[in-house]
Amino acid sequence: MRVNPNFSYDMVNLMDQAQAAENKAAQQVSTGRTVNLPSDNPAAEAAMIAENSQVASVDQYTSNSDSLTDVLNTANSTLSSVVTELQRAISLGTEGANGTMNQTDLDSISAEVSDIKSEVMSLANTTYSGQYLFSGTATTTAPYAVDSTDPTQVDYNGNSQQNAVQIGTGLTVKANLPGSSIFSQSGSNVFTALQSLVTALDAGDSTAIGTATNAVSTALSAVSTAQVFYGNTVNELTSNATFLSEEKVNITTYQDTLVSADTATAATNLTQSNTALTATIEAAAKVSQESLLDYLK
Amino acid sequence: MGLTADLNVSVQSLLASTEAMDATTTNLANTNTAGYARRVVVLEETAPSGLDQSSTGVDVKTIESLRDTVLDLSINANTAEQKLNDTLSNALSGVQVEFSDTTTNSIGSTMDSFFSALQELSTSPTSTSLRSDVLTAAQNVASAFQTTASTITQAQQQADKSVVQNTTDANSLLQQIAATNGEIQTAKALGQSDNSDQDQLSSLLSQLSSIMNYQTSNSSDGLTLTTSGGVPLVVGSKAYSLTTQLTSSGFNDVYANGTNITSIISGGSLGGYIQARDGTLATLGTQLDQYAYDFAGAVNSVQTAGSDANGNTGTAMFNPPDTTSGNSAGAASSITVALTSGQQIAAAASGGASGDDTNLEKMISLQNKDLASGATPSDTFANLSYDIGNTISQATSNSTALGNILTQLQNQQSSVEGVSVDEESSNLVLYERSYQAAAKVISTIDTLMGNILDVGVSNPGY
Repeated sequence: MRVNPNFSYDMVNLMDQAQAAENKAAQQVSTGRTVNLPSDNPAAEAAMIAENSQVASVDQYTSNSDSLTDVLNTANSTLSSVVTELQRAISLGTEGANGTMNQTDLDSISAEVSDIKSEVMSLANTTYSGQYLFSGTATTTAPYAVDSTDPTQVDYNGNSQQNAVQIGTGLTVKANLPGSSIFSQSGSNVFTALQSLVTALDAGDSTAIGTATNAVSTALSAVSTAQVFYGNTVNELTSNATFLSEEKVNITTYQDTLVSADTATAATNLTQSNTALTATIEAAAKVSQESLLDYLK
Repeated sequence: MGLTADLNVSVQSLLASTEAMDATTTNLANTNTAGYARRVVVLEETAPSGLDQSSTGVDVKTIESLRDTVLDLSINANTAEQKLNDTLSNALSGVQVEFSDTTTNSIGSTMDSFFSALQELSTSPTSTSLRSDVLTAAQNVASAFQTTASTITQAQQQADKSVVQNTTDANSLLQQIAATNGEIQTAKALGQSDNSDQDQLSSLLSQLSSIMNYQTSNSSDGLTLTTSGGVPLVVGSKAYSLTTQLTSSGFNDVYANGTNITSIISGGSLGGYIQARDGTLATLGTQLDQYAYDFAGAVNSVQTAGSDANGNTGTAMFNPPDTTSGNSAGAASSITVALTSGQQIAAAASGGASGDDTNLEKMISLQNKDLASGATPSDTFANLSYDIGNTISQATSNSTALGNILTQLQNQQSSVEGVSVDEESSNLVLYERSYQAAAKVISTIDTLMGNILDVGVSNPGY
């Protein structure tokens, strides 16, 4: 068979291919990725997009957990203050109930309990970045206010709703506990209990003081129960945050296997493709030099 | 045998060598000419002459053009197919960037940010700044849809311009082919060589195959060129010019002899541009519209079921699409955010307190719910990315594979038709020698004849 005398097309094609291989290798070295456009590996790219969405979710769940932890910790420490106040009221009540004090002393204790009552009300109206912590989902309404007709009464103006916040796919936690199930439950109303203590102290009635002090104790245990809710939720958020950071590592590792170029391999490929290109160019230059005309005289 | 007869033979030999050298020179001159097939001189013995009929000279029987027409056809068909794949992958490459995972403002990434903003708001539903963030994120989603839709439309318009340009280029070639066809017929009728016309025709056909695919057949009129559907392009010396007509879609259809051949052209750059414009990009545009329509519809239906920060019933977040018509056409390019204030985001359940996030949670859950397309919002984007990436990747690998086949075929073609400088140089030496030999014979005969004449004319003293 006659040999193709014009191998230029062949050579050009080979050089094109060698050049393309070198460009690709250089791109992989410089970007650190084997997949830079959807057409480089459509399946990996589609998976990459789905995983990016996952990363965004995990980041957001982490951020949700963080901001929720701050809110819950604020609520929890507020409740701790309430507990301290109530404990002080109980010890005052216990002092007043032993019948050894004169009315002047009882009056001063009563004034102190009144202060405690206002202090607790102010604590129950605590806000976190402008939001009332204990008014259910009516977070723009102050939960507790002095009744307009009977100044000894404290009214609850919030609702009994709870918000749920996502901290994982399909995983939510309750973000708040309404004041109606902390301070003003029927049977263990903090404000009613404190008010009856004030009334009993004012009246100097030891028995009534004792009964009222017991009522404050009952109210205190309701507040403590609420503290357990906040404590548990914070613990759940903390362990979830650990899980989320592990999940993020897993996703990022998977993403690496999808698109990342192995630096050593990419560098080797670059060297190899460069050698191949140089060899092709040299071969092309050499073969086209010779002709019979060089030898005919 | 007579000297005169020998003289004739030698003259014939001189002429034959000259013609052979002509052919060699022509070959050398056209070493790099497109479509040129090398010439080979076919010599033959002439009828005997002289008294004893013993002198047989040489004559040039024909100058053959070594053309492998089957190979030429096969190369042209492959060229058309490779060019289609090249063009397709080039025409789509600008669009795929919008679907890359590294593009910061892609639909996918803005949608992730939108859901993140909703999540953030759920931790503090009355926050004015977080509500504004949601609105901004929604605007980013809308503009990502618009940008992507406009990139697709621009790519289609670019392809459409190329369709018109390619049609003009094809027409110029079709007319040249028809003219050359006519010349071949004339040459044949006059019994002249049509070698150079055939070279010209071969080059034109090869150029045309880069633009479009076609079918050829031979008839008494010479070459007939038709589209794959049998619509005539060139019949004998008549060319049927292609025309373009603007359709209601805003793009040009291609007509040949009154027939719409837009969807028939399935090769060459013209075929590639048509396939990109009416196939891949058109489908992608429709899918994008449906995506925008479904997403906006899903968000709107949750939004309108809740209450906003002021206790009012929520209104649609996105504008249009008109969900009542069910028509998604143009949804991606026209989507905007209808809400003007973050306070209008219906985070609360219907009638719920301003701090309620019940409805917000429903909106957030859309992230993991299938749209009408059967995939979640993020997966729908990933699927579109896969589709466009895969189309380009396939076109590119097809082009590489066809390129390798084409190289093989061109090697084969060149081994038959290609001019070898070495071979021609050696032929030149050969024909030069035979010319010199014939000239020597003539000079010898001249001497001999001179001697005879000398005998008759002058008698030098015998």
